[in-house]
Amino acid sequence: MFGAFRMTNPLSGGLLWKIPWRLSKFQKARQRKRLKAVDSVIATLDTALAKKGETLKALELWKAEMPTEAEMLPKDKYTIFDRKAKRYRKGIHKVPKWTRVSQRLNPPGY
Amino acid sequence: MSWFRITLHRSAIGLPKRTRGVLMALGLRRRNQTVFHPVEAQFAGMILKVKELVLVDEVAAPLTPAEVKAERTPDAGFYVETRGPAPASQVALLATPVVSGFGRLPPRAAGSIGDFASEVAKATGRKEVRL
Repeated sequence: MFGAFRMTNPLSGGLLWKIPWRLSKFQKARQRKRLKAVDSVIATLDTALAKKGETLKALELWKAEMPTEAEMLPKDKYTIFDRKAKRYRKGIHKVPKWTRVSQRLNPPGY
Repeated sequence: MSWFRITLHRSAIGLPKRTRGVLMALGLRRRNQTVFHPVEAQFAGMILKVKELVLVDEVAAPLTPAEVKAERTPDAGFYVETRGPAPASQVALLATPVVSGFGRLPPRAAGSIGDFASEVAKATGRKEVRL
């Protein structure tokens, strides 16, 4: 059915692959930690280059448009814009590789 | 001259080829590997591409891979006071050629297990017992 999986009793019950619509408080805590980690990488790069007097255009663009974890609304930390959903939002955990990809901005007003 | 100390914290499995290419350019092949690169815009740009996967720190001097490994090696818990000569039984075992098949068995080192084996052999009436 799905690659290496066999049709077993637990699997055919339809409960094994349920994914909740929202994040748990632990998932949210880890998401905040990951956002802060990316912020710290940006800060490290920024101070290191500033000491040498060099600039990086991509870094300047990130700092200009991307909010830090503290500036983000919880809505933006844990959900993402989805044009098909009822309120135009879905859980950020539904994004593939969401723990290894940066997703901070959504269309204004949604 | 300052350096970036870059450690790969998350793997790039399932991520696009480009991201994996950036990690290869940085020299990061496996998780928790640490590499050092000088602080320049070129390397900062590469780190920016994989910023979700790495941990970065600014350090004064780079470490060699041996030094990085020594950092995470724990104390041995002992120190060698005096190193004696190699024991005779070890030398004899090493000197004996390996015999394939059911030939003559190599000499067993003297010890309690050897005595016990001979006791078992005597008790059961077998010619030789390997324990």
